[in-house]
Amino acid sequence: MKYIDPHIHCVSRTTDDYLYMARAGVVAVSEPAFWAGFDRSSAASFADYFRHLLDIEPKRAAKYGIDHYAWLCINAKEAEDVALSREVIKLIPPLLDHPRVLGVGEIGLNKNTRNEITVFEEQVDLAARHDQLILIHTPHLEDKHKGTSIITSILKNDKRIRPERVLVDHCEEHTFRLARENGFWAGMTIYPVTKVTPQRAVDMLETFGTGMVCVNSASDWGESGPSNLTDTCLEFRRRGHSEPEAIEVFFNNPCRFFGQCPKWKIKPIGE
Amino acid sequence: MQDAQQTLDQYFLEMRWRCLSLAADLDRVERAPGGNAVIGSDPRLKKLREALGVLLEGRPNRAEQVQSIFSDKTPPPR
Repeated sequence: MKYIDPHIHCVSRTTDDYLYMARAGVVAVSEPAFWAGFDRSSAASFADYFRHLLDIEPKRAAKYGIDHYAWLCINAKEAEDVALSREVIKLIPPLLDHPRVLGVGEIGLNKNTRNEITVFEEQVDLAARHDQLILIHTPHLEDKHKGTSIITSILKNDKRIRPERVLVDHCEEHTFRLARENGFWAGMTIYPVTKVTPQRAVDMLETFGTGMVCVNSASDWGESGPSNLTDTCLEFRRRGHSEPEAIEVFFNNPCRFFGQCPKWKIKPIGE
Repeated sequence: MQDAQQTLDQYFLEMRWRCLSLAADLDRVERAPGGNAVIGSDPRLKKLREALGVLLEGRPNRAEQVQSIFSDKTPPPR
């Protein structure tokens, strides 16, 4: 079976992970801009990071037959520094036409502070002005429900934003409805210690349905890995769901969301 | 789709080790210096006890209820 990992931080992963993904059937990935594990010292660091995302990582992925796309933004954690954030945001518009850029992301909140909200609103405005898809990062652990509520309220109140062009990621049992009932795509991240296990992800697919849902590994520099995506598909099949149903979730849904950007060329299977 | 008995058969050993793992975690905290005081007073463990209560109550949507226990409920910043 072919897979797409709609959210993975390849810059933090080893070449062995690319090899694993290729062997497992992953044919495309999308990589949002995120926090590097430390706060960067200047906008110039982000300029280099964006070049890494757009020019270097696609070549690395291509060696394993994997199509690599990316998203640009300043992440929620470093958005606490509003002045730095504004310098970084200025770097983004000239890059939006790059053939590997799918949109603005992963923007959102981390600790739900006033500064984070200010920078989030400015990046939503950036996406709206440039008619970009949006990939949302929702906070971790105890901050998730409150942060997801704030984010979805801001998005709903901006009449320029079409919900079907926004994916609200890292949804869990208590936030999934906030995304889907407001018309947004929902993302589930299989990151067992702090987010979702394969079993709970499949529980949510069975409970809430498989429409407008993308499952990802969000593999990064933490305890994570690309096998979490394929393990979730295995759990899905182990419960008796068919291969065509699995293809819908693990391949066709990401194609449908990303396919709203004309740069994404992969079509859903069977359509 | 599996029935409830088949589902329990499939997952019971995992459920068992998760329960044992949590029991061992609490034992480890208690054995460490200052363990008795921490076990009795740490607010995170208070939430954990509340969450365990949800598991035993027998009402549906247990995972969502547990998520709510561990969520910040203060209002958004102005």
